[in-house]
Amino acid sequence: MAISRKEIEHIASLARLDSTGGIFDRLADDMQDIVGMVDKLAVLDLGDITDVIDTERKNAFHPDEVVQEYTPDQLIEPNAPDFQAGGVAVPRVVE
Amino acid sequence: MALYEKTAAELSELLGKKEISATELAKDIFARTKAVEDKVQGYVTVTEQVALAQAEAVDRKRAAGEALSALAGIPVAVKDNICTKGTLTTCASKMLYNFKPPYNATVIEKLAAQDVVITGKANMDEFAMGSSCENSAMHPTRNPHGLDRVPGGSSGGSAALVAAGEAPLSLGSDTGGSIRQPASFCGVVGLKPTYGAVSRYGLIAFASSLDQIGPFGRSIEDTAMLLDAITGHDPLHDSTSVKTPFEGSVRANLKADVRGLRIGLPKEYFGAGISDEVRKHVMAAAETYKSLGAEVFEISLPLVEYALPIYYILSSAEASSNLARFDGVKYGYRTPHVGDDVVSLYVKSRSEGFGSEVQRRIMLGTYVLSSGYYDAYYKKARAAQRKIREEFAAVFEKCDLILTPVAPTTAYEIGSKTANPLEMYAGDICTVSVNIAGLPGLTQPCGFDSNKLPVGMQLIGPRFGEQTLLNAGLAFEQASGLRNIIAAL
Repeated sequence: MAISRKEIEHIASLARLDSTGGIFDRLADDMQDIVGMVDKLAVLDLGDITDVIDTERKNAFHPDEVVQEYTPDQLIEPNAPDFQAGGVAVPRVVE
Repeated sequence: MALYEKTAAELSELLGKKEISATELAKDIFARTKAVEDKVQGYVTVTEQVALAQAEAVDRKRAAGEALSALAGIPVAVKDNICTKGTLTTCASKMLYNFKPPYNATVIEKLAAQDVVITGKANMDEFAMGSSCENSAMHPTRNPHGLDRVPGGSSGGSAALVAAGEAPLSLGSDTGGSIRQPASFCGVVGLKPTYGAVSRYGLIAFASSLDQIGPFGRSIEDTAMLLDAITGHDPLHDSTSVKTPFEGSVRANLKADVRGLRIGLPKEYFGAGISDEVRKHVMAAAETYKSLGAEVFEISLPLVEYALPIYYILSSAEASSNLARFDGVKYGYRTPHVGDDVVSLYVKSRSEGFGSEVQRRIMLGTYVLSSGYYDAYYKKARAAQRKIREEFAAVFEKCDLILTPVAPTTAYEIGSKTANPLEMYAGDICTVSVNIAGLPGLTQPCGFDSNKLPVGMQLIGPRFGEQTLLNAGLAFEQASGLRNIIAAL
């Protein structure tokens, strides 16, 4: 199915990607082609297979016990873009 | 013969007999790297000082009479999406340009326990999305067999380093062919293990239900050595990790005997789109197997026609979810152009931090999971995945292994496919079904084309069929003599 420019811009906003500028024009063109490729799946007849539950793989749970803890200064501070007063600094979230 | 030209098994023997030291070996390997790395550019980060310290520690243990593993002192390069504590792990992305993990991946812990010497972090397509290593935000890697050619991808650096003699072994990851295709392009051996056989803890996720870490080597025996080292149930860290019937024992049980082995040739993998030279060499390998006593016959896997859409829907859907964590807040790249609201921080950091291919996949994944399209794309692809698994299961009732090409062509020229994503995706046609079905797949060289570029073949096995795969690989390797191929640079 064809995908409109407006839909592509909506998808970009959902994905938290910028939908302005020349780079996005190329991305939008590519999306048309890629959606055309995956559309090929529409003609596949799956018969009575409808469920998507994976019956082969079993999730292996382990006990819900804390076995190792990092302090923020060990785990977060070395890699945080902006770390202040024991926390990660971000732009104002609440107006 | 210089040390860098020897296989890991040969080096292991020399180390065990104390004819060489781990330090001597590491210095030889880094001398080779200094000589050729400017041409190959297989590394993102070289960890020479750390590696030499590791090698010296191995030598001290050996001098003290400690019992050491077969891999003790053997240099191994690691793909840059596998977490190494305190060492840059960038996924070849601007998004993680400065990321130093606070922990090791399980496979790194396993290698450390066996006193392996880590030489550095290998280049890759950004976040493992790509088939040519050209999507690296750092630099493209070049194929050691033709420096104007791609090494394949996404584990292009891991394959190129082994082919160039910069490391006897390396680790890669394979989501849709990312070990097998670069192994084919670079003339080395690469194995994508059964899903769950190797812990994914510490592998930065692309598509979690398809990703799998695996080994590269220049011989079947070397590849089995590294497989033995990384396989194992990891119930604490990876809920999809499983116990395998072969843990740690594949190398010891290698047997080059294919008499009576039933090998299927799926006709759909040899049709239009596969180059004549690739077809010729893989069919010649089939004849070799016949001469060795295997039963070789045609089979059919018709759903391969739908493998690419299924793969790109499932992998992109998972990628869009997995990569949502990169938002410029806690770690990784943050835009310097922060606006006055947090959404602009997300949008600008992600759009500036991710390359174009990663953004394409995130867009596709978001689309196929979005309201109104989920059933037509994602749900249908998941159901089709089940049908593909059933098709493989039915085929494995009739044969023990499947022999196919790895890629439609040999290594192509750098830049020749970057303008057309669909053309690049089409190159994955022979490999993605293996990930969709969770099966093991082995690539090894089976000849050279008229440009003297390696041609690879792929053997596919049933779940946990690694021993059979590597036994068949060894039989072909011995019959063909195609092993330990180091590119002339």
